Amino acid sequence: MTVESDKVPAGFGLAKGKKSRSQSLGLARYLVIRFLLIIPTMFILISMVFFLMRITGDPITAALGGRLPPDQLADRIHAAGYDRPVLIQYFDYLGDILRGNFGTTLSDNREVTDILAQYGTATLELVIYALIVAFIIGVPFGMIAAYKRDRLPDAFLRLFAILCYATPVFFAGLLLKLIFSVWLGWFPVSGRTDYLSELSGLRNPSGLYLLDALRAGNMTIALDVLKHAVLPAIALGLLIGGVFLRLVRTNLIGTLGSDFVEAGRSRGVSEYRLVTKHAYKPALIPIVTVMGLQIALTLGGAILTETTFGWKGLGFMLAEYLTARDFVAVQGIVMLIAVIVALTNFLVDVIAALIDPRVRY
Amino acid sequence: MTKSKRALRLALATAGIGALSLSACTGPVDDSGGDSSDSGKKVTVGTTDKIVSLDPAGAYDNGSLTVMTQVYPFLLNSKPGSADPEPGIATSAEFTSPKEFTVKLKDGLKFANGNDLTSSDVKFSFDRVVSIDDPQGPAALLTNLDHVEAPDDSTVVFHLKAGNDQTFLGVLTSATGPIVDEEVFSKDKITPDDEIVKGKAFAGQYEITNYTKNELVSYQAFDGYQGLLGEPESKTVDYKYYTSANNLKLDIQQGNIDVAFRSLAATDIEDLEKDDKVQVLKGPGGELRYVVFNFNTMPFGAKTSDADPDKALAVRQAMADSVNRQDIATQVYKDTYTPVYSFVPSGLPGAIEPLKEMYGDGDGGPDVDRAKKRLKDAGVKTPVELNIQYNADHYGPSSGEEYAMVKSQLEKTDLFKVNLQSTEWVQYNKDRTQDVYPIYQLGWFPDYSDADNYLTPFFAPGNFLANHYDNKEVAKLVQKQQVTTDEDKRSELIGEIQTEVGKDLSTLPLLQGATVAIAGEDVDGVESTLDASYKFRIGVISKK
Amino acid sequence: MDTTTSKPARQPRWTRLPIISHLRKSVGLQRTMLIIGLILSGILFLTAIFAPLIAPYGYAQASADGANFGAQMAPSAAHIWGTTVGGYDVFSRVIWGAQTAALVIVLGVLMSIFAGVILGLVSGYLGGWVDRLLVVIADAIYAFPALLLAIVMSIVISGGQSNLFGGIMAAAISITVVFIPQYFRVARAETIRLKAEPFVESAKVIGTSNLRIISRHVFPNATRTMPLIFTLNAAESILTLAGLGFLGFGIEPSSAAEWGYDLNKALADATSGIWWTGLFPGLAIVLTVLGLTLVGESMNDLNDPRLRGRRRAGRKKRGGPDMPADAYVNGTGLEVTK
Repeated sequence: MTVESDKVPAGFGLAKGKKSRSQSLGLARYLVIRFLLIIPTMFILISMVFFLMRITGDPITAALGGRLPPDQLADRIHAAGYDRPVLIQYFDYLGDILRGNFGTTLSDNREVTDILAQYGTATLELVIYALIVAFIIGVPFGMIAAYKRDRLPDAFLRLFAILCYATPVFFAGLLLKLIFSVWLGWFPVSGRTDYLSELSGLRNPSGLYLLDALRAGNMTIALDVLKHAVLPAIALGLLIGGVFLRLVRTNLIGTLGSDFVEAGRSRGVSEYRLVTKHAYKPALIPIVTVMGLQIALTLGGAILTETTFGWKGLGFMLAEYLTARDFVAVQGIVMLIAVIVALTNFLVDVIAALIDPRVRY
Repeated sequence: MTKSKRALRLALATAGIGALSLSACTGPVDDSGGDSSDSGKKVTVGTTDKIVSLDPAGAYDNGSLTVMTQVYPFLLNSKPGSADPEPGIATSAEFTSPKEFTVKLKDGLKFANGNDLTSSDVKFSFDRVVSIDDPQGPAALLTNLDHVEAPDDSTVVFHLKAGNDQTFLGVLTSATGPIVDEEVFSKDKITPDDEIVKGKAFAGQYEITNYTKNELVSYQAFDGYQGLLGEPESKTVDYKYYTSANNLKLDIQQGNIDVAFRSLAATDIEDLEKDDKVQVLKGPGGELRYVVFNFNTMPFGAKTSDADPDKALAVRQAMADSVNRQDIATQVYKDTYTPVYSFVPSGLPGAIEPLKEMYGDGDGGPDVDRAKKRLKDAGVKTPVELNIQYNADHYGPSSGEEYAMVKSQLEKTDLFKVNLQSTEWVQYNKDRTQDVYPIYQLGWFPDYSDADNYLTPFFAPGNFLANHYDNKEVAKLVQKQQVTTDEDKRSELIGEIQTEVGKDLSTLPLLQGATVAIAGEDVDGVESTLDASYKFRIGVISKK
Repeated sequence: MDTTTSKPARQPRWTRLPIISHLRKSVGLQRTMLIIGLILSGILFLTAIFAPLIAPYGYAQASADGANFGAQMAPSAAHIWGTTVGGYDVFSRVIWGAQTAALVIVLGVLMSIFAGVILGLVSGYLGGWVDRLLVVIADAIYAFPALLLAIVMSIVISGGQSNLFGGIMAAAISITVVFIPQYFRVARAETIRLKAEPFVESAKVIGTSNLRIISRHVFPNATRTMPLIFTLNAAESILTLAGLGFLGFGIEPSSAAEWGYDLNKALADATSGIWWTGLFPGLAIVLTVLGLTLVGESMNDLNDPRLRGRRRAGRKKRGGPDMPADAYVNGTGLEVTK
């Protein structure tokens, strides 16, 4: 989607005239094809993870390799069926998935759907907080940078954005922890709440702790949840925020160079007004779509944030399950991530297609 | 049928009450946790353990066993401070004939859900461990069990394959030992944790009232418990599961939890020792860290081009002369591990320290000259090239440093040239049993507290090391001590085995772990459970 | 596309080399950024080359002259940045870490360029079902969080042994797999564009073989934007390497010094208020990535007339989210995990 459209000459309002008649049909066709493309993407990812995991060994050796004689170990592996031909295991697995049976994890005996629900909501909550931080950092500063382009504030903000990117989440996390938890003692070091027993006792908990606490009307817990979220949200939010800042800046500069803004400029509209009123909106659409593409970055960053702050979410658990060679859990989590990524990309493409007809190839 | 119906109604009722009390509890929560019960404050314990399963048939790990210790009854158990198996929910447990171990249950035993606990539950509990034979389960511990018989409601007879098995008492206290409710647990598959909690299939010192797997377990004292441990000091205990040791450490330091048990990094423990607000408590630990020699592929091993058993032995012995265990324990582990000079860790009945005088300076330290002489006498050309393998991700975070130190100690003698390599755990296990590694690291956590658990798995034929060490004399002795009923005689045999293996050095034991718990200054009783049974019994903890 | 339009007029050959031409083109702030970036990157590679001379101790050396360094010693004259939990000299490990980082960058990025470009060229040139299949696979990999992929790959690869070479190869290959789709995409798109160019058409007409067309005509042109992606990926590979090390899937300390691994260990130290074990390797990562990113960023800006230092280089804005110049940044620089 990115580079192919290079073939089309630049220019915005090109899709006119004879195309308008078949446009709705073309759009529908594009959407269907684009949606169907999710299937091979998912299929490839699932298969890849399946075979890679089989190469890396089995959960039984991982758990008991250090205690059992080789023959007993082999017996257990045989009983679990891990010594069958990989292709047979693969088709079994595909069959199970099609029947909606994702299995039970091997290392802690839980339904995969269960762990997805529990840890997925944890990650979701973290990502929401981080996105809020990222927007607060990225959008206003990006606008300032574009407005003050090539001057000192711009240079400073760009450097800041690059620093956000250049600082690994875990290093930022380490510094935040060292300063705000260990030395100042303002925020807790880790975890999501101190009131887990109260929260998990609620009826139909959503798993989003803040929401649950607010629903129960308990401000003490809500505050506690927020306090736990501050440092992880900043660590991850800075990473994403840096990217947002650059996106906003680049796109605003692009819009500021466009004809209609130029027209405004020639009519004597102030540069400040141009940024905040005129250029802002058209620049926002590509920004939002490209931000959608940051889902991979966000999820990847979430793994490291979760590890740093002991936030038991999908990413953290995935690393755990990988170490335990728990195929079932890893495949389940990877599949969920693949679905999220595929759907996000689909939505981004759909929005892009609605905005710009050239995209439909 | 009627029993299960009653159980169901009871479960419904309790669930209903639970829901009511929870929905009523929407006001602000104060720090004391809101329990105004008379018997002590709520105690919070933190750990980095993980629970594999609450079902005894599906778990063979420390994290799961700790939960089971609290909530399931055992036929045999040991009191805090001791590792000697005594009747738990039984009035008697003894060999009634060499191949029959008979247990008489106490009267009126009940599960928390109201179901009766009878001999049929006991038989059910052991039968299912064997028949399910879960890949992650402890069925391997029951290889000597032929079948279980329940002649009447209060009598259980274990029929064994080999007679007078002295380790069977230990087995009953181990991960296979918990007694479960046959009306809640499935006969032929692992029962999910949630069903166990919902079914209140508990009859230990505590029952679980709130369960979020690997995040939080809330325990409440179970009034009907009749086992060895008695009434717990604290009625309610919360057990929090941490994702990393340093977070656990900070929380205990800042007083957010009362006790931290397993596993803190050595640095953290050292740091906490300087802190007046917490107590660092240590007890014996069962963990053993050692080097394994592959008798086929080590230098001068049986399958090498220059095979020579005497030279191979000299290399092993010279290595034993050269390592400085105390230095490793101090520098790498801040003395949270202690040097070990035997194959059976000190603290267990029968443990002696044969390696102390046999090697090094005779007092535990290294002796380069002795090593030099040994190699020279055997005609070994120095430096000997050693390829040592270790694993960085299974035996704690410091294996890398530990083996870097072993390497530098060995090379300091100028007798050895060490190539150090690490491999990730799963591959490591495949490789080591396929003779890929000539010399390599392993560790051991015991299944139960008995010297045999450090002998049979290591030196009996078909052992898990698979290092081609084959000493018929040792194998015979190992078998003999297992069935020796006289305690003194058995200890003597166990000592003899250690001395014999000490001459051959099938493995080179380096360090023995201590069990470390950290408690807040207002917490009492923790130290009494840090004994050689390696069981953490939360019932002993109380808070001022 | 931008690079073709902004092709400099006849000039000495060396001035047309990527970074030098960029430096000549740059002005003001952009030049400062580029120079800072070049200096930082230069420091990294110089440190890597001269690590044996600079570092006072080995990366896995815990004692000197028969005495142990002692663990977690605060910075002192003997150990200017203190010692780690394993009793290693922090300064030495940071210096040696530069070597690991540089090796991983070079190996990882070279391998991914090699594999990615070849696949892209073939895929774009041949078209048909091969092309479609490769595109779908590349998209699937590309869409997936890179770090996860790298973790899985590192487990697969580290099945071997983790000596210096093995460990670095494992990290480099993990990174390669993640980057291949990016080079693949760019190479393929350029190839498709170039295929329609008259000079390729004419080569076909006179019966030149496919291999020759690809290697002589398409390849040199399709790889012109590579230095840019190369720089940004180099930065990213450092982050991926550090991430792997941090999560415990990286290189062991006895095999090589690796900053992410040291940070992982330092996380535990931080709770005891020990800052020196984490700060220095962390700063090393930040400065390295900063340097490389500054170079890449500046090159990106200079390649894109819209963003070049001079006001409006006479090109119109292009709407939509698919702006090729940005795609280099959005698609390669920042969106991948760290």
